[in-house]
Amino acid sequence: MTKPKVGFFGITGCAGCLLSFIFNEDEILDITNLVNLKAFPFIKEVNADDNFDIVFLEGLVASKEDLETLKKLRGNTKILVSLGACACTGCVPAYRHFTLKENYEHLLYEKRERIRDVEPTPIDAHVKVDYFIPGCPPNKKEILSFIKDLLLGKKPRQYTDPVCVECRRNNNLCLLDIGKPCLGPITLGGCNSVCTNGGFECWGCRGPTKDMNLDLMIKVLKEKGFDDKFIKDRMRTFAGLKLPVLERVINAKGNNAKPHNKD
Amino acid sequence: MQVFRLEKKRLMPFLRKVMRSYELVAPVKTDLVRFEKIKNPKSICFEKPYFPVKGFFFKKHQVLFEFDGSRVKIPANNEPERVFFGLKKCDLNAIIRQDKVFLEDAEDPYYKASREKSFLLGFHCDEACSEYCFCGSMELVDFYDLMFYDKGNHFLVEEGSEKGRFLISKFKEFFKPVPRKITQEEKEIKGTDRLKKNSITHLYDHPGWQKDVENCFSCGACTALCPTCYCFEIHDEVKSSCLSKGCRKRCWSSCQLQSFTRVAGDHVFREKREERFKHRIFHQLGYFKEKYGMNLCVGCGRCIEGCPTRIDFIKTINEMEDEQRE
Ligand code: SF4
Ligand code: SF4
Ligand code: SF4
Ligand code: SF4
Repeated sequence: MTKPKVGFFGITGCAGCLLSFIFNEDEILDITNLVNLKAFPFIKEVNADDNFDIVFLEGLVASKEDLETLKKLRGNTKILVSLGACACTGCVPAYRHFTLKENYEHLLYEKRERIRDVEPTPIDAHVKVDYFIPGCPPNKKEILSFIKDLLLGKKPRQYTDPVCVECRRNNNLCLLDIGKPCLGPITLGGCNSVCTNGGFECWGCRGPTKDMNLDLMIKVLKEKGFDDKFIKDRMRTFAGLKLPVLERVINAKGNNAKPHNKD
Repeated sequence: MQVFRLEKKRLMPFLRKVMRSYELVAPVKTDLVRFEKIKNPKSICFEKPYFPVKGFFFKKHQVLFEFDGSRVKIPANNEPERVFFGLKKCDLNAIIRQDKVFLEDAEDPYYKASREKSFLLGFHCDEACSEYCFCGSMELVDFYDLMFYDKGNHFLVEEGSEKGRFLISKFKEFFKPVPRKITQEEKEIKGTDRLKKNSITHLYDHPGWQKDVENCFSCGACTALCPTCYCFEIHDEVKSSCLSKGCRKRCWSSCQLQSFTRVAGDHVFREKREERFKHRIFHQLGYFKEKYGMNLCVGCGRCIEGCPTRIDFIKTINEMEDEQRE
């Protein structure tokens, strides 16, 4: 069997998702035996830049340069995998869509003009993505099992169940029951409910499930006393761009939220 | 069945002695009540655990076998002998259901191994433990190795099986035989018959389900907390050092999830939330009975208490019934 040619790249992001892969210390050498790791600029000195079978890409598109890199990688790989929350949902950097320019402009580095030149967007907003490994950061084991599934000729497992499934299996007290604004019921699991295991409510870093009941999530949070602004802010922190209907759903519930997107 | 008297102040010494020979599992209260392995019997509480006991028999994650190429190895079973104390009538009857699935239908060696090494000690409820209970509507039966009845300064302990008799003789210094029976009246649990009719086949297309479906996240809390739900998925995990080595695992799953009915070609045959929601209710109160002659549901109310929106399907069924009777 010829080893699949693999590349790990990052565009605008914090490198945490690349690190997640590296954190598999005990197994990483085994994996590099199974694949031809042609590029990993974060840890390798010499890197190829074309002819890949699988490219894992961290980060989101926030500059023209990012977009060029993305398009080039897409053209040079058979399989493109969105690695981590920025790549999958836009994560925190995409929050810029939901706030006024005055709120963030003074925070930009003066000389980094290119930060302003493209609206921050997840990579599937620009090119076709074959698989998603979500999470901020992603589950390090999931990256390994993804590679192993592909090597075995299987369709990699894409986890579709909500966080509550694992949370309940872990015998946790439901944080909604003690008034915390947990987004577990509408958020993709696969994280082994790592946050709620520690008593910290789910903020939705893995993005919404396809099957989410968003109307109900909003209704439940309102009943617990959270207002529209809080709910919108919370839901948009990690996955605002994947919840285009949020505004409409909130407004449909007979309240006084302003009908525009920015607040 | 023979009845014995156990003085209340002798309960702790009894349990401590039990712990010398067995692993003791009983309800412990922290933020919630859970069945736990007991280190100090003083930590035991007598309330109904929020989570079911089933995970001790039907494991959340079970390695079915390890493989190395085509060589297969079934993991050794190192289950300790366990004494379960503080099981409620619903918990005990749930074990009857799981026995049917995992012992009678097809013998599941993993379930059997832990089940065979278990002693089931029940603790009788005099009245409903929560507003959600409806065990009194579910035709439950007597099923236990020993059943404890709280009688003020002492317990009456009733034998229910050979295993129970064995335990009594092993720990006979604690138990004094008494020449009396536990009456039907003493076995009753007050305030638990709130489900008006436990056969619901005729209600499948009733529009009354709609509000419950709208209040459902399909989060699977109900099925995880249910002491009878027995559904699972199976997947392989291979080693990074050698892809032909690994294990096959069985993990809890739930009919509330789309992934549960996903088949080859990515077809999901219960895609709609409504179909999934109804599947649970109708399996619990219909399909299972058609096959096994008893309802799957034992009326413990855990799926209602643990539902993030407290969907009370019993209330819904009663409303539909009332409306049909009018
Ligand atoms: S704490 Fe959150 S993730 Fe856990 S069951 Fe409750 S809502 Fe779901
Ligand atoms: S616990 Fe409630 S919300 Fe969750 S799947 Fe069950 S019925 Fe639906
Ligand atoms: S369906 Fe609900 S009430 Fe019935 S046994 Fe399961 S958890 Fe208990
Ligand atoms: S109600 Fe659903 S999860 Fe529970 S046993 Fe039936 S099909 Fe399985």
